[in-house]
Amino acid sequence: MTSPATTSTSRWARGVVLPVAAVLAVMVFALNSSGYVVTVIGFAAIYAIFVTGLNFFMGYTGQASFGQNAFAALGGYGSAILSGNYYWDPLLALVVSMAFAGVVAAIVGYPTLKLRGHYLAMATFALGLITYEISIEWTGLTSGYMGISGIPPLGVGRYELGTEKQMLVALTAFLLLGVWISTRLRDSRFGRALRAIAGSEPAAQALGINVARYKLMAFVVAALYASCAGSLFAHFVGFISPEVFGGAMVIQSFTMLFLGGIGTTWGPVIGALMVLMLPEFLRGLKELQDVVYSCVLVMILIFAPKGLAGLVALIPTRRAPAAPRPAEAK
Amino acid sequence: MGKSDMALLSVQNVTMRFGGLVANDRVSFDVPEGALFAVIGPNGAGKTTLFNIISGFFPPSEGQVVFAGDTITGLPQHAVASRGLIRTYQLVQLFKDLTVRENVAVGCHRVTRGGIPAALFTPGWARKQEAEVERRSRELLDFVGLGAQADMAADKLPYGQQRLLEVARALAADPKLLLLDEPAAGLNTQETAALADVIQRVNARGVTVLLVEHDMSLVMKVAQRIAVIDFGKKIAEGTPAEIKAHPDVIAAYLGGTETADA
Amino acid sequence: MPDLVQFAQSLVNGVGVGLIYGLVGIGFCVIYNASGIVNFAQGVFVMLGGMVCHALLSKLGLPMIVAAVLTVPIVALAGLAIEFLVVRPMWDRGAALFAIILATLATQIAIERLTILTLGDQPRTYPEFTLGGPLKLGSIAISYQLFWILGCGSLMVVLLWLFFTRTTAGRALRACSQNREAAALLGIPVSRMLMLSFALSAGLGAVAGILVTPMQVTAYNIGTPFGVNGFIAAIIGGFGSAAGALAGGVLLGVLQALAIVLLGAGFKNVAALSVLLIVLFLFPSGIFAALQGSKGH
Repeated sequence: MTSPATTSTSRWARGVVLPVAAVLAVMVFALNSSGYVVTVIGFAAIYAIFVTGLNFFMGYTGQASFGQNAFAALGGYGSAILSGNYYWDPLLALVVSMAFAGVVAAIVGYPTLKLRGHYLAMATFALGLITYEISIEWTGLTSGYMGISGIPPLGVGRYELGTEKQMLVALTAFLLLGVWISTRLRDSRFGRALRAIAGSEPAAQALGINVARYKLMAFVVAALYASCAGSLFAHFVGFISPEVFGGAMVIQSFTMLFLGGIGTTWGPVIGALMVLMLPEFLRGLKELQDVVYSCVLVMILIFAPKGLAGLVALIPTRRAPAAPRPAEAK
Repeated sequence: MGKSDMALLSVQNVTMRFGGLVANDRVSFDVPEGALFAVIGPNGAGKTTLFNIISGFFPPSEGQVVFAGDTITGLPQHAVASRGLIRTYQLVQLFKDLTVRENVAVGCHRVTRGGIPAALFTPGWARKQEAEVERRSRELLDFVGLGAQADMAADKLPYGQQRLLEVARALAADPKLLLLDEPAAGLNTQETAALADVIQRVNARGVTVLLVEHDMSLVMKVAQRIAVIDFGKKIAEGTPAEIKAHPDVIAAYLGGTETADA
Repeated sequence: MPDLVQFAQSLVNGVGVGLIYGLVGIGFCVIYNASGIVNFAQGVFVMLGGMVCHALLSKLGLPMIVAAVLTVPIVALAGLAIEFLVVRPMWDRGAALFAIILATLATQIAIERLTILTLGDQPRTYPEFTLGGPLKLGSIAISYQLFWILGCGSLMVVLLWLFFTRTTAGRALRACSQNREAAALLGIPVSRMLMLSFALSAGLGAVAGILVTPMQVTAYNIGTPFGVNGFIAAIIGGFGSAAGALAGGVLLGVLQALAIVLLGAGFKNVAALSVLLIVLFLFPSGIFAALQGSKGH
């Protein structure tokens, strides 16, 4: 092996093998723990998927959306209604809901993403609010504040994931797949174009990148992740209500994103785990949970705007010069 | 027929008004294929406006821009760019969070293909393409003399090198015409000399260059043909020697900059 | 088919609540003009206005007028606290626009939760300032509170106008909105202006909250709808103009009242948010500006 190949191997080890091993270790720990820990880790996995999508739009592409909870709600309600009321296969319900959320994101994203600054912020925020209001008011479909319960667990055909632990294994698989996709896209022509837009829109434009189209694609990808996370939540918990996808979700997911490190592939996973473990150290302060999240978020925004991982990045982790991989023989 | 179908870029009677202000007044010139052409003029003469019109940043009030035989007036900037007319910015616009090499790799966008499916499933052609992007980026960084800095963060480069990186990134897009907007702005004499050398070698690679510049020394050193703009109008066009001797040009430069600096 | 009386009644109600939106909208503009920041926690001041006033009335048994007058400075202090603890540190570090927006949004959530913990999560209200209403005009009922809103609303606008034109601080604030760098060069303490704008804007929000509570209810979570509607009012008015925001608020209030008649009460927020998106997509510089522009051409 030549030396460039070795550095590319060490990059592989640092960027992929280590985090995957860490995630699997957490899961193994969870599988040997009580039901409560399983629930918390399960939530962490679901949120990590949601935040990985958010990271696509905000981290890689450098845009802002305060309404991604809208697409999580589409996924959650889509899955709940299709699998609960119409007895669809949960996996099929999940995929169809994702497709629906993607189409909605493309349609509403087209005019929305033309806006800039605080108009963009308010318009995306409004998308989340509209979805929230509809999920409360369209009681015929959503049961309003009462929410929908009795949503079947995830499964394929006849085989159903009966226990939380089985479900956790499935969630882990979804999460690893989601992060794999995020990593793949980040280090590709597509991902480079997104990150170029984050760096300088005029320069990206001048190199022939259709900025509006790429932003829209990033928005749709983020919506697909959000919808998937919403569906998984519905099947994991068996119950959803408007509050699940409300404003607190926006703040929580942003806290995760900034805590874990915006723009990094594993940041969302680390952030989700940290934020959901936080209440464990604050027992007795359950009611203060959202206050603490908000304060943590504000502190990060003030003191470490690139997220805590931004501090870690001071340690030289620049990607080693990957050698041109030998073109594989056909 | 004749003269204009030899020209790679043809600026025809371009006029630009902002309210009552006329920034460009019926400006015309042709840039032949393979040329190293410069547009000069004192500060506020309307060079940057003209530059923005050619690159599609905004459309002119009147007139046409013809590139490689097609009218490109009013096309959005990314569409102009994807035809092979690549610009740089007066204030360097790097992708700060990317490495030097990745910056150049983004430049390859125009000459590569593939979206989400190619990124996910990396078929053989996509892998070959990535290897080619890698090779091309390194080659271009070597070309502008930044080979050793390939894996640095782009914003850690000194300003003069950031300018060179921008040129390398633009070259990665395989431009038919490279538009340089005041590339010497903010550079010291030494850096300007290095830049002049790179511009000449870029042109020698067969890339047509249109240079819009305030710095006379750079222009006189590298340009083969020069158009001079003052108060929005073209007042002269010719070889560097002709321009140096042109009475209107001397008047414009002595009248303009000297009093402005005083 | 809604009859004429219903229609007229909804217009009357719409004007009332619309004035409230207008006051909130002016609050947005005051901060925006001073700093270029859009405070997404603006609605929180309306909520605090109602909740604090209610607490002073019910827990301390203060008379209405005293409670109302005390509430305004208390909420203005909350505005100062947000400025000092959240906005200023980010402002000083040159934080990105969306980061500041996010921080104000987080602040709103925190304040809402703290309100639940201290004042409870139940909706509450208090009587109208003048009892014995409503005034009957044929079949149309006009609540006395509406007159209070009209009166206090106009008073606030006049006071604001006097403040911005007759006082040094007001003129300095206006100078900041025209050009912050130039204002700083002229020796105007720009950062103190930021403080002033938060206090002023919080006070305005509190007045809106105190006035509107008898007509509806107040609860920890009414901040977001009032904030969003105030923002819409400001946007309709072209963001930055106080008169525009007030007119925009009334227009929005009336539209919303009509939407309630036509679609039912449940979807009034959806209707308002749709108006927001339509205005943003079609008239990003404000409806009034768009109308003036089309006249000019």
